[in-house]
Amino acid sequence: MKKHPYIHIIPIILLVLFSFAENCWALQSHGAPEGIYVHQMAHLLFSGALGYLYWHTRTSPVIKSKGWKFLQIFCFFLIAWNLIAFTGHEAFSHLTPTDFIDKNTWKEQLAPPITGMKILYYLTKMDHFLNVPGLFALVISLRTFYREALLEAKK
Amino acid sequence: MNGIPLLPAVTVEFFGSALAILFSFIALRYAWFLVRLQPSNFIWGFLFYFCIAMAAFSLSRGVGHMVRIILVYTDQNTLWKQLSPLSGGFNTMLMISVAAVIIYYHKGLAAYKLLRQEAVKLFDANTQLASSAKQLQELNTHLEEMVEVRTHNLSESEKKFRNFFENSKDIIFFCDKNGYFTNINSSGIKLLGLTQPPESVNFHDLFAHKNDLETYLNGLHTDGFISDLEIECRGNNEGPKFILLTANAIYDLDGQFVAYEGIGKDMTRLRTMTEQLINQEKMASVGQMAAGVAHEINTPLGIILGYTQLMMDDFEPDSETHNSLLVMERQTKACRRIVADLLKFSRQAHSAKTVIDLNTIIGEVLAVTEHTLNINRIDIIRHFGAGLPQIVGDAEKLHQVFINLFNNAQFAMENGGKIIVTTGKINNELHIIVQDTGTGIPDEIKNKIFDPFFTTKDVGKGTGLGLSVTYGIIKNHGGRISVESPVTDPLSNETVQGTAFHIWLPVNSTPNDENREQH
Repeated sequence: MKKHPYIHIIPIILLVLFSFAENCWALQSHGAPEGIYVHQMAHLLFSGALGYLYWHTRTSPVIKSKGWKFLQIFCFFLIAWNLIAFTGHEAFSHLTPTDFIDKNTWKEQLAPPITGMKILYYLTKMDHFLNVPGLFALVISLRTFYREALLEAKK
Repeated sequence: MNGIPLLPAVTVEFFGSALAILFSFIALRYAWFLVRLQPSNFIWGFLFYFCIAMAAFSLSRGVGHMVRIILVYTDQNTLWKQLSPLSGGFNTMLMISVAAVIIYYHKGLAAYKLLRQEAVKLFDANTQLASSAKQLQELNTHLEEMVEVRTHNLSESEKKFRNFFENSKDIIFFCDKNGYFTNINSSGIKLLGLTQPPESVNFHDLFAHKNDLETYLNGLHTDGFISDLEIECRGNNEGPKFILLTANAIYDLDGQFVAYEGIGKDMTRLRTMTEQLINQEKMASVGQMAAGVAHEINTPLGIILGYTQLMMDDFEPDSETHNSLLVMERQTKACRRIVADLLKFSRQAHSAKTVIDLNTIIGEVLAVTEHTLNINRIDIIRHFGAGLPQIVGDAEKLHQVFINLFNNAQFAMENGGKIIVTTGKINNELHIIVQDTGTGIPDEIKNKIFDPFFTTKDVGKGTGLGLSVTYGIIKNHGGRISVESPVTDPLSNETVQGTAFHIWLPVNSTPNDENREQH
């Protein structure tokens, strides 16, 4: 199929636009909190989508395979991660620069007194403990699907 | 009070990001393998796009985190502040992308399921079609062979039944409901003497008796069949045929009588033989009775004759009494001749058998009778077989046989004619035919001509013992005699007027065989 000659220009325009993100080119003006709101909404959307995938693969699997089990584990971890990340973002929004000591250094600390919000922030910063196992479950899931498909193809 | 150092969390963040990128790309690799293995599988397609989105998200987020750590902790916070919204924006966009892929999974899956159902149906239909095509191909391949085998079987079957139909010695026939032949085998044509095409002959017309036809048709219409019905048919020139008939009615789909089929057995020969047997039995009985009567009468007749002749000596030859005695003597002698004939018929008379030549015997008879026959305008035609073997027989009695036959022939030809005498040998028998061109013998009396005292001559002209005596003599010689009237010419196969007596005499009997002399 013949591509439109101007199609290659679109990524360049997008790159330029994103490179100067502090300038709002839209007709409607967007305030500073909009970014975090959208991001949080994206977390919730992502969770909801994963929840649907979890529910669907559990109730009506299209193909019988052990791979679905690992995919469901992946969904579970990623839903949890999304919620943790959401919480982390919320917690961070309640902290002020005075809550940090030696900010932007290797010795950076959460300044005393240690409040619940600070502990929550600290724990949610460890979100990779949910994200990485989730992705590992996704790897195992796809490997299982592949091996079974390969076995079936060999038959 | 000390704060909580963030270094462990940052470390986890840094390496966790790296691992997330690694795992997401490994997952993408497996998804790619799956798509390549089964390109038409929607699930693998979905997982592939899902993994792309996940890998892009993990890459964006992971790189963002790692770059942030590196930039922030290397005093390049300003640069990070410029990149931070970009990274956040990418992360948000890619999270939404992953969610979108999942959301569209639902719709895609529904379409995929529908397509797959159709595909399964199509596959089943294709499989069925392929199976049917294969069957059709096999059928086509073997069709010719099957047709050949079945045609052969049909031909064999047809041949078998055709042979049975044609070779049967019984009549097998098919008629329409009106009785016209639709098919009849060659035995039937021959037996019934059909000269026209069978399709133009009505079987009903061949029935000699109306009662038989009524019984036959009633049986077919009432019961649908007729079994072992003995009928008399008008046959060909050989005379009527007696047939034992079995027939079945044929009905169409509406149960209407449309035709019939039947088998007929020729009983003519059996019937003739039965009649001959009855006749022979009758003749034997009559002969026995005649012998008894003759034996008892012979003695008183001898005494009467003796006394009559003695009394004749006592009277003058020209006296009235003497003349009366002469009449008595003459009549008594006539009575004795009759008695002698009866004894001959019943084989009770003397018999002196010697080796004789039959042609000579007939020649001797003709030498005496030919002159008289010629006077009555009767010609003698001799067809004597040459080199006939001699037989054992009573020459005198055989003379009597041929005299009787010639006398009868002469009686049947008052206006002249021909007597054809034929002799020959068939197997171990001499066959003699005495044929005349006279009036012939009606069918009604054929069975009676050998009976004693049966005559067609006027009263006083014949005793009715001639053929009885002939019959007795032939039987006494171990032979047989039959009559044929009218006569079928063996050469032209045409029927000619007249009568032929056929005599068969055995060749190899010995002089002592037949001597059952009494008296």
